[in-house]
Amino acid sequence: MSWIREGELNLLEKISANILKAGPMPKHVAFIMDGNRRFARKKHMERQEGHMQGFNKLAETLRWCKHLNIQEVTVYAFSIENFKRTQDEVDGLMELAKQKFVKLLEERDNLEKHGVCIRVLGDLNMLPLDLQQLIAKAVVTTKAHNKCFLNVCFAYTSRYEITNAVREMAWGVEQGLIKASDVSEALLSECLYSNNSPNPDLLIRTSGEVRLSDFLLWQTSHSCLVFQSVLWPEYSFWNLCEAILQYQLNYKTIQKARDFHREHQALQQLEADRACVAEHLQHHGNGKPADAQRRQEALLHYTACREERIQDFLEALKQKRDSYFNDLWKEAVLA
Amino acid sequence: MALLYGLLWRLLLVLVHANRALVSWLRVRLRSWKGRLWERTMAALVLPSALARFPDHQKKLNHNNPDANANPVNRTASRRSRWLSDGRSLEKLPVHIGLLVAEEEPSYTDIANLVVWCMAVGISYVSVYDNHGIFRKNNSRMLEEIVKQQQDLLGVDGSKYNVEFLSNGSDKHQHHVVSCRPTVKVLSPEDGKQTIVQAAQQLCRSVENKERSSKDISVSMLDILLRESKNIPDPELVVKFGPVDSTLGFLPWHIRLTEFISLPSHRNVSYEDLLGALQQYSACQQRLGQ
Repeated sequence: MSWIREGELNLLEKISANILKAGPMPKHVAFIMDGNRRFARKKHMERQEGHMQGFNKLAETLRWCKHLNIQEVTVYAFSIENFKRTQDEVDGLMELAKQKFVKLLEERDNLEKHGVCIRVLGDLNMLPLDLQQLIAKAVVTTKAHNKCFLNVCFAYTSRYEITNAVREMAWGVEQGLIKASDVSEALLSECLYSNNSPNPDLLIRTSGEVRLSDFLLWQTSHSCLVFQSVLWPEYSFWNLCEAILQYQLNYKTIQKARDFHREHQALQQLEADRACVAEHLQHHGNGKPADAQRRQEALLHYTACREERIQDFLEALKQKRDSYFNDLWKEAVLA
Repeated sequence: MALLYGLLWRLLLVLVHANRALVSWLRVRLRSWKGRLWERTMAALVLPSALARFPDHQKKLNHNNPDANANPVNRTASRRSRWLSDGRSLEKLPVHIGLLVAEEEPSYTDIANLVVWCMAVGISYVSVYDNHGIFRKNNSRMLEEIVKQQQDLLGVDGSKYNVEFLSNGSDKHQHHVVSCRPTVKVLSPEDGKQTIVQAAQQLCRSVENKERSSKDISVSMLDILLRESKNIPDPELVVKFGPVDSTLGFLPWHIRLTEFISLPSHRNVSYEDLLGALQQYSACQQRLGQ
């Protein structure tokens, strides 16, 4: 089964899609595709077959998303916790992933036609080397595409991602690129694996579980959460419509909460800058009290310097991450 | 065409809203009907047995205060034992529950009721959160209200339910919490991402001072830092009140495995609503990645 499904929606689906599109639509939807194994048990099939059907459903969902003008989708494919499953099942999932990434590389023309950019979020070092190389190839080949984005969270947990962001910032401090006082909410967001994406507007979890299971904890703090009881392989276009409708009902309130949070964050940054400037003036002002104008100038100067430091640091971080994929890719080509 | 679709969309939204209103109206009607039935059965069954169970208590009070009606004390006592046995009858009870209020203009009395009920069924940690930080700003009013409701609902005799209040950071000496004492914590968005940022800053500072290398930073290190400043286990259950389906910034680090259960509103919320949510939680199974 391929990643990209062609085909239009049927008439009823098209009408419903158009009605929904008259309202505010989510630009980025995240899925926890839960219920593959329960589905397999229910249908008396092999566990691996359940995972297979789960993947096929993902391809179908991506087609629906395209028709609903949802440009970005993030899916939870494999959690670091999943390594605790039986060796047999973990091997099966790794094998499935390999097959699918090989398939993806075969379809690169089609991906280019649709402008699909694939990103993989997680700690790839935990995966077998051949899978790492396949992923690197897929990521590097589709990097320039910009019509729709698919983020696959693989060997991922949100706590690990946040910790990794802290580690990257600490690396920046070690390299002398930033100061510890430059660490802020905005900077931490920029250091997450998901730094290239806006926060998801809508998070959907299937199979009736009502928790996040360590998925995008930071990014979904102001997202609409929809828990649906259907098992993932049985997910339908109408389930997706229902979730979007729920998003639309929540839209105004969540937007307001987001704005409130953004204002609060800006205020906090200003306060932090002021505190740094005050400390600086105290150290270098020879004990003289600084007048308002001088303080204001110092604040502007400090903010500009801080922003420049952060720019440089993020540039260096981006290079570091790109070179990781490029090196893997080169290795794979040479091998 | 676009206009037609727009109209249809509005119509759809109106229909959904109407549907929701109808459902919540029915729920209230059903509850008041059930509540009346419940009261009558209680009056018939539980009160006599409660009278039998706490005779000396009643005597003592009657002795001190001959004019007083014995009824309220008995009622609080029977209520208390009923709540405690409700808590025991559940297969599992959260150690830490979060109450997330996603509504404008919070009602302090209702929140205080919820907190007291949570403590009465045997939950050790109760966190109260709203995304505007209103409760935090009015911390003392919140706590006063809780104490008042505690006395109203559990009686003056509720010495077992002494509440320990933690307010942010300022009172470090209170952090050795005596077990079996329920703890109430009022949370605001600042306890969420901002606390993670502070922990990150702290780690980066130690790297700046060459006390630690960036490679040493691990999930458990960050977790310990974030736990120390709270001294509370992760909430196993968050009950969210209000029509918004979002966590609205509730402790992002700590809700990794938290179950979310929604109730339509915290205003006039009843004990049965809360118990329903607890029962739903008790029926949930977690596989922890397996």
